[in-house]
Amino acid sequence: MERNWYVRVALITGVLLFSVYQLVPSWFYFKLPPDQRNGQQYDQSVPSWAPSARKHLNLGLDLQGGIHLAMGVDVDRAVKAKVARRADEIADFLREKKIAVEASAPSPDGTRIAVKTSDPRRVESIVLDQYGNELSAPSGAPAGTVWFAFKGKVIQDFQAKAVDQAEKTIRNRVDKWGVSEPDIKRKGNNQIQIQLPGFKDPEKAKELLGRTAQLEFKITDDESPVLDAVRGEVPSCPVEQGVMRTPLPESGCWSIEGVELPGGQQRQVTFIAASTRSQLDAAIEKVAKPKLQPGQEIGIGEGTVGAGIVKERFYRTYLLHAKTELTGDYISDARASMDNSQGAGKPVVVFTMTPEGGRLMEKLTSNNLGRRMATVLDQKVETAPYIQGKISTNGQITLGSNRPYQQMFEEANEIALVLKAGALPAPVTIYEERTVGATLGPELIRKGTTAAFIGLILVVAFMILYYRATGLIADLALVLNGLLVLAIMAIIGSTLTLPGIAGFVLTLGMAVDANVLINERIREELRAGRNVRQAVDQGYDKVFWTIVDAHVTTLVAAVVLMQYGSGPVRGFAVTLAIGLVASMFTSIVVTRAFMDYFTRGDTTRLSV
Amino acid sequence: MQFKTFDIIPHDTKFDFVGKRYIAVTLSLIANAAVILWAVFHGLNFGVDFAGGTEMEVKFQQVVDPASIRKSVEDLGFKDASVQTYGPESEHTYLIRVGRIALMSQEDVNRVVQAVEAKFPVQGTPHFNLDVGDKIDFQFKGTPPTPDQLRAAVEGAGVRVREVRDEAGLTAGTRSFAVITQGIQDKIERDLASRFGAAKPEVRRVEYVGPAVGRELRNQGFKAILYAMGLIVVYVGLRFDFRFSPGVIIALVHDAIITLGYFAFSGREFNLTSVAVILTVVGYSVNDTVVVYDRIRENQARFKGKKLSDLVNHSINEVLGRTFLTSFATALSLVGLLVYGVGTIFDFSAAMMIGIISGTYSTWFIAAPMTIWLEERAERKKVAPRPEQAPARAAR
Repeated sequence: MERNWYVRVALITGVLLFSVYQLVPSWFYFKLPPDQRNGQQYDQSVPSWAPSARKHLNLGLDLQGGIHLAMGVDVDRAVKAKVARRADEIADFLREKKIAVEASAPSPDGTRIAVKTSDPRRVESIVLDQYGNELSAPSGAPAGTVWFAFKGKVIQDFQAKAVDQAEKTIRNRVDKWGVSEPDIKRKGNNQIQIQLPGFKDPEKAKELLGRTAQLEFKITDDESPVLDAVRGEVPSCPVEQGVMRTPLPESGCWSIEGVELPGGQQRQVTFIAASTRSQLDAAIEKVAKPKLQPGQEIGIGEGTVGAGIVKERFYRTYLLHAKTELTGDYISDARASMDNSQGAGKPVVVFTMTPEGGRLMEKLTSNNLGRRMATVLDQKVETAPYIQGKISTNGQITLGSNRPYQQMFEEANEIALVLKAGALPAPVTIYEERTVGATLGPELIRKGTTAAFIGLILVVAFMILYYRATGLIADLALVLNGLLVLAIMAIIGSTLTLPGIAGFVLTLGMAVDANVLINERIREELRAGRNVRQAVDQGYDKVFWTIVDAHVTTLVAAVVLMQYGSGPVRGFAVTLAIGLVASMFTSIVVTRAFMDYFTRGDTTRLSV
Repeated sequence: MQFKTFDIIPHDTKFDFVGKRYIAVTLSLIANAAVILWAVFHGLNFGVDFAGGTEMEVKFQQVVDPASIRKSVEDLGFKDASVQTYGPESEHTYLIRVGRIALMSQEDVNRVVQAVEAKFPVQGTPHFNLDVGDKIDFQFKGTPPTPDQLRAAVEGAGVRVREVRDEAGLTAGTRSFAVITQGIQDKIERDLASRFGAAKPEVRRVEYVGPAVGRELRNQGFKAILYAMGLIVVYVGLRFDFRFSPGVIIALVHDAIITLGYFAFSGREFNLTSVAVILTVVGYSVNDTVVVYDRIRENQARFKGKKLSDLVNHSINEVLGRTFLTSFATALSLVGLLVYGVGTIFDFSAAMMIGIISGTYSTWFIAAPMTIWLEERAERKKVAPRPEQAPARAAR
C-alpha cells in the first residue's frame, strides 16, 4: 500500500480513539440515575485518566425536565422612575439654594421634568450647573416653567445598565438556589433568557425571578404606640424560657422587642408574628391596618427561632414611616467584609453610594441619628440596623452580635446581595416560559432512542442489501460518524434535545447519501468498462465536489437555523451541523481508505 | 461476477422528463397556489411559539372526555380554548391550548384605567406596554388603594387579574402597582385538579409565549428561511453558474411551499420545529438539484451541439438512480421517528418526508427542465432584436 494510505488509516484510528476517549465522561454520566448525575457522585465516578468530568453530553431541558424563561426588562418604567426621582432631587436642590419653586414634577408622559418657578432663567442655569452633564433644558416650555430632560446618551446608558443589573440580579438569585448548570444569557436588547435544568418548581422560579428587586430605605417608627393596641385582638406569642416558641397561632400573635430611641431611652415595641406570610398578611389586614396613622405603614420581615442548625422561620411586622427615603439605585456597590476595629474580626456589610446617593444618605442619616433604617426589598424588610453615625458615600452595616461567626458571615453576604439586588430598578416581565415536567423526559428519551435505532437499522440494512460489501464499509463509516458526532457534542458542551435526536437520525440518513453517490458513480464507471481500481478512483474523485456542495447547502440551512432558534430547535441545528461535518469526513476519507485496501491488487471483483 | 447486486432503477432508463414539464409545471403551480391560498385565507394553525398563548400537556390516569376538559377550560373564561388528544388514546394525554384572551386590548386598558381613575388618586398616565400585553402599571399619590381594592376595580372593568404586584413608588410618597393578567396555566391547573381529581391530572409540559415574542419569532423564522434560501442560491451560483440560479430558486421555493402545505392542509401545529423542517428541506432538497446540474454541466462539455432538451433528459436519466436512492436512504432514517414520534416530532418527520419527496420531484420535473425554458428564452431575446444573426448561429 502507498504511504499515503497508512497516514489516512492512522488518522482514522486516531479519530476513532479520540471520539471514544471523549465519550468516557458521558458514559459515566448516563450510567448514573438522573437525580445523581449533577452531583458529587458523578464527579467521583469519572476515572482520573478520562477527560474533564465537565465535558459530557448534556440533556436538553425537554429531555431532563426543567424551566426555560425569557424575561423582558421594562426599561421604560426604569427611565420613568429615574425622571421622577430626579424631579424630586431638583426640588430638594433648589430649596437648599433658597430658590422659590412651585413644583418640580415629571411630565405626564414621564419623559421630562417640569419645574414651575417665578424665575425660570435662574432655575435653568443653576440646575444645569449642577446636573448639566446629564440633563438638558429643551425649549418650548410654557411661561413660568422650565423643562429638563435626560440626554439621549444618558438614557441609553441607563437602559443598558438596567438590563445588566437585571441579569446580574437573576444570576445572583439562581446561584443562590444552587441549580446545577443553569444557563443565563442576554437575548436581543432587553431580554434575559434563563434555563434551569432539573428545576422542579416553576411557580417559585417565576415568583422569584419575576419579582422586581426594588430596594428602598425607610425609617422605622419605633416611637409610635399604635401597634400596642393589637395586644387585645390577637393572642400573645407562646414563649419558652424567654424565647419565642413555634408553632405560632394561625391568627398571628403579638410579641415585643426592646429598641433604643434616639434620646438613648429604651422602649418595648409591639410587633405581630405568624408562621406563614399569608397568615401574617391576614392578621395585618384585620388588626393592624385600621390603626395606622397617615404616613405609617407596615413592613414585613423574617425572623428565626432557635440558634441551632434547624431554625424555624417566622414572619413579623415592622412599623415604618411610609416615605421612601432612598432607593436602591443610589447604591453602587455592597459586599460582606471584616471589621477589625474592635480586635477580633467581625463580619460586616460595607456599601458605597453614588455621589448623589451619598448626599441624600447624609441628609437622611443626620436627620434620623439613632433611629433604625429598614432595608426593604420588594416590600420585605431584610434588615433594620440602627443609624449610629452620619453616612455619606461609604457606609457600613454592623450585624447584631452573639451568633456564631459562620452564621454572621452568611448573613452579611445575604444583606450585601440584597443591597446589590436593590440596584435593579426595572421590573421584569415573563415573555416566554417553557416548563417540562420530570416525568416527560425519560419517556421521550426512550421513544427517541427507539426511533433513532429503527432508523439506523433500516439505513444499515438497506446499504448492506443494496451494495453488499461496499454497503458494509459505508455502515462502518456510519458508526464512526455517530461516535464522532456525539464526541464533538460532548466537547463543545452542546445539549441533546428531542429535535436534536431527530437531527442526529437525519444526519445518519444524509451521511449514507454520500456513499450512495460514490457507489452509483463507481457502478457507472464499471459499466463504462473501467477496471475496479480505476472505477473506485474515478468514483471518489468525480463526486467529491458534488458531495461537498450537497453538504454545504444543508450546512448553510443548519447554520442559519442555529442563529435563529433557541432551546430544542437550536439543539437540532447544532446536531445537524456537526453531523454534516462529520459525515463529510467519514463518507469520503474513511470509506475510501477501506475501499483502497480491498481493491489494492487491481481485482476485477467488487460488490458495489 | 461483476454485478451481483441489482439496480432499483435500471441504469438505462430513458424517461422523457422534459416532455412532461408542462404537465408537471401546471400541477406544481396548482399545488403551490392551493397551499398559499389556503394559508392566506384559512390560515395556518400557529402554535404558541408564533401565536402567543399558553399550551399545556396534561396526562390523566384514566379516560377523560376531551369535550369535558374543553368545557371546564371555557368555563374559566377562555373561550378560544382548544383541546386535542396527544399521542395514542391509551395514554390519556391531552394538549390544551389557550390563545390570546388573557391579554388586553387597548380598549380594555382604557376601560380599566377609567375605572381605576374614577375611584383612586392615580398619578400620571398608567403605563401599558402593548408588547407585553398583560400588565398595567399604576402610580398613586395620597392614599393608595390596597391591592385587593385595586384588583376589584380592575376586575369590575371586565379584565381578569392574576396578580396585583406592589412595586416601589417612583418617588417618595407614592405607590405603584403592577396589575398582571397572565398566568392562565395556574388557574387551569388548579381547576382541572379539582374537577378531574379522580383522574389525577398531571401537567407535564407548559409553554407560555407572550404576544411580542411570538410576533418576533414569526418574523425571524420567515427571515431565517429567506436568508437560508438566499445564501444557498448564492453558493450554487458561485459554484456552478448563475444561469442555474433561477431553477434553484424556483425549486427551493416550490419545496418550501409544498412542505408548508403539510402543515396547512393537515391543520397540524406550525411552530419553531416546523421552521426548522422547512429550513432543512430547503438545504437538503437542493442536493438532488446540484447532482443533476453537475451532470448537465459535465454533459454539456461532452456532447457539444446536442439539443439542450435531449441533454437535460439524458442527464436526469443518467443520475436517476442516485437521485432516487439518496432521497430513499434519508427517508428511510425517518421511519422510526414517524412510528414512535408524537406531536412535534411526528410532524417533523412527516413534513421532512414530504419535503424530501417534493425535492426529488422538483429536481426532475421543475428545476432541470427550467434550465431549458430559461435558455430558450435567453435565446429568443438575443435573436429577436437582431434577426440577421440568426442564420449565423444556425450554421454553427
